[in-house]
Amino acid sequence: MLKIFFKKQQQIESLIYKYLEIIKTTERHFSEALNTCIDNGLCDHFHFLVEQTHKFESRADDVREEIKTLMYGKALIPESRGDIMGLLESIDEIPRIFELILYMIKTQKLTIPDLIIQDIRELIDVSLESCDLVFKQVEILFKREEGIRKIVSTIDHNESHCDHIERHLITNIFDSDLDPFQKLQLKDLIINMGEIADQADRVAKRVNIISMKRSM
Amino acid sequence: MISLLGGIFLGWSLGANDASNVIGSAVESRMVKFGTAAVLASAFVLLGAVLQGQSGIETLKGLTQITLKQAVVSSLAAAITVTLMTILGLPVSTSQAVIGAILGIGFLNRQLNVMGLGKVVACWFGTPLGGVVIAIVLYRLLAAIYNRLRINLFQSDVLLRLSLIAAVSYGAYSLGANNVANVTAVFVGAGHLSQFAATSIGGLSIGFGILTFSKRVMATVGKRVVRLDSFSALVVLLAEAITVHFYTFVGVPVSTSQAVIGAILGIGILKGINTVSWSTLKNIVTGWFLTPVVACLLAIAIHFLIHLKYIPFCRPVLLLAVQ
Repeated sequence: MLKIFFKKQQQIESLIYKYLEIIKTTERHFSEALNTCIDNGLCDHFHFLVEQTHKFESRADDVREEIKTLMYGKALIPESRGDIMGLLESIDEIPRIFELILYMIKTQKLTIPDLIIQDIRELIDVSLESCDLVFKQVEILFKREEGIRKIVSTIDHNESHCDHIERHLITNIFDSDLDPFQKLQLKDLIINMGEIADQADRVAKRVNIISMKRSM
Repeated sequence: MISLLGGIFLGWSLGANDASNVIGSAVESRMVKFGTAAVLASAFVLLGAVLQGQSGIETLKGLTQITLKQAVVSSLAAAITVTLMTILGLPVSTSQAVIGAILGIGFLNRQLNVMGLGKVVACWFGTPLGGVVIAIVLYRLLAAIYNRLRINLFQSDVLLRLSLIAAVSYGAYSLGANNVANVTAVFVGAGHLSQFAATSIGGLSIGFGILTFSKRVMATVGKRVVRLDSFSALVVLLAEAITVHFYTFVGVPVSTSQAVIGAILGIGILKGINTVSWSTLKNIVTGWFLTPVVACLLAIAIHFLIHLKYIPFCRPVLLLAVQ
């Protein structure tokens, strides 16, 4: 009997989990593409992974639109509609940054010099850890479980750490003998890479606010 | 039948005005469509009036002995007061207007049930206070239950929506049960209607007011009320319904607006925020004192007016109304 009332909500719920899975796949392709670029340069496999990242980012957009249409068909209470739509739009920024970074490397034919490889790997690892934590946090929010605040503080800590790596990387680049034009290109790339952790931090704080609003 | 028109008009305006207290938050937050809420509220108002409206009627008709002509005068005075206060933008209680008008007739008859009146006034003080206390207790209780429920965010949304629909129905039921006396008690007191006819006609006229004119009133009145989150809105609605229903058992018609304001204040106390501004409170207190006084004076004035020997134009119209 109750299933009649929950039908639309169940549809939205499964679509949101599907959306998160697609974002996670986008993240995997991004990580693999970046590692391929560092290890082998701009090879065919890198180009293939860039396209895969783009494909999954677009697919995530389609699912987000589907969720939006369903939600505005009065499936949830207006307060939740606004919160969830805002949250999904905020999460959607993450794959957009993945795509932006990969296309920067692809179109500008960037090569990552050895002197910054280690720091870049660390920056990406910490940023992607924040993304994974955000996805976990969103699931916790939807399941109304405990643990959101703890994740927020970890993500916040990661964001500060990424800022530190970012500054260190830029300093190293400008201290090096690289071509001035390449220095500027790399600086832009690193700033965009730093955006991943920043965006994850913004999403985490938004999730925390939504959770606090719903805690009576 | 013509003599009942004043009461029916009062019931209609009561429905149009007080519907915002019952269905306002649900409709304004777009959780329930106006049509659904209005039909549901009208049905439950009628149900409440017919099933539990008798006790209020007993209290009001016991306040003073009244003739049919005086019943019409008091209805008319109350209806004009409600309209006047609404135009002035002051929060108005139909219950206070009706009792003020009956008081006026009582003064003229030199016969007033002081004990009964004391009980009514005590309940007026108790209504906003009851709203505050019940909202605080209810919020704590429901929040404890809600936080322990093992349901996800989506299921919690459905639960909130269904609870709100149930609360709208209960709010409408208690409005009908408590306020129907305002509409037709004087006619029972005058021996013009049986209790069943009085509750049925009263319930129908309030329901008609909700269906036909409450949307427009809500659009203007609703905007002045602070917008609450869904859970708080549910608590406010339930607190108002419980408060008003409690006074139904006591047998005194009270103001749903005052119960709502009390409940909103209660939420503000709990959350440490200003849910009601000082200017709103000032307006409420002004309306609180003015409504019965204006209705009382109007009833006396109308009574004198229809008993004057010569008034061109006005007297035939008034006489037609009171016949």
